[in-house]
Amino acid sequence: MMALRRLCASGVLVCLGFVLVSCERAASVPIENVQVTPVTGADIQRAVHDSGAKAVLVNVWATWCAPCREEFPGLVRVARQYQAQGLKVMLVSADDDSDVAPVKKFLAAAGVDFPAYIKAQKDQAFIDTLNKQSPLDKQWDGALPATFIYDGSGKLHDFWEGEVTFNVFQQKVVEVLGKQAKPTGGTS
Amino acid sequence: MKSSLAMALVASVSVAGSAFALNIGDKAPSTTVKMKNVDGREVSIADIAGKEGTLVIFSCNHCPFVKAWQERIAAIGNAAESKGIGVIAINSNDPADYPEDSYAEMQKRAEKLGFKFPYVVDATSDVARSFGATRTPEAFLFDKDGKLVYHGAIDDSQNAAHVEKHFLQDAVDAVVANKDVATKETKFVGCGIKFRSKT
Repeated sequence: MMALRRLCASGVLVCLGFVLVSCERAASVPIENVQVTPVTGADIQRAVHDSGAKAVLVNVWATWCAPCREEFPGLVRVARQYQAQGLKVMLVSADDDSDVAPVKKFLAAAGVDFPAYIKAQKDQAFIDTLNKQSPLDKQWDGALPATFIYDGSGKLHDFWEGEVTFNVFQQKVVEVLGKQAKPTGGTS
Repeated sequence: MKSSLAMALVASVSVAGSAFALNIGDKAPSTTVKMKNVDGREVSIADIAGKEGTLVIFSCNHCPFVKAWQERIAAIGNAAESKGIGVIAINSNDPADYPEDSYAEMQKRAEKLGFKFPYVVDATSDVARSFGATRTPEAFLFDKDGKLVYHGAIDDSQNAAHVEKHFLQDAVDAVVANKDVATKETKFVGCGIKFRSKT
């Protein structure tokens, strides 16, 4: 009986652990479903302006960047939870543009089934374009990860250099979307 | 909750590194701070300053961008040394986050690459903070008067085959020739420095 109780208890813990892990990491997707498009800084600016979204989160990351990998589940989670509310998330890899295969593999494992991108421009021009017309008093100097959040008009609302948590992303996304925004879909 | 708070602290420490970026024309900070070289000696930026100028490169072992550029860093650094420019490579990363950035690994890397200049440990990351350095590899070149004349990338592509602009080499050549540096600042994507926590 004791053994049975222990088995039940450990089963509950395993299930609970699975649920907690599910909350943090989205299920992987088939690699064939992952789209990675080469972009320049100007392409990103255009995509932000023409997105039709209420808020656009642009994250620049790389497969080899440990803090980028750490914050990735939070980005995917916020993308899923607020997509229906008008959020668009653009994940832009700064890996060498000849390294599309490992980028796709990482995105598939992370469950990214929405369009993703890879930087196809030299650093200086890419960074300068993303910093151009920024109303903020801080600018991106190239350190990864870097995340920008724009409203539907293309106005930059905030920018983070370095690893950011899901809660910080969520707070700013809700602020830009409008206070009434509520998470829907995806894992929570 | 604890991990969220810890991550928020890490993020704030990373951002804090960029708060005091040097401007062109500024003098080098933290020049008397002694740092442990891969040969065991304690050296400062003042100790290695050259009669023609001083080149400070924030670097490390683990970063793939550093790995992509490391042979070019060794070649430019060694050549600059021979022309009277003092050169020092500084690792400000916390090896607790990246074991590959440990002192023992630095010794191996310096030997493998044939550095003729010091490769030192910034044991508090405060030297990087004082420069406003945020990424690796990030170069700061000072002229013979000690003024910053170039800050930024080694060149314009991590892929050596695609390099079109040799920013740092051109700046070194200009300093040695006592000429104005044409491109004074460049931006580039690199690994964020993993700053040690302030105690």
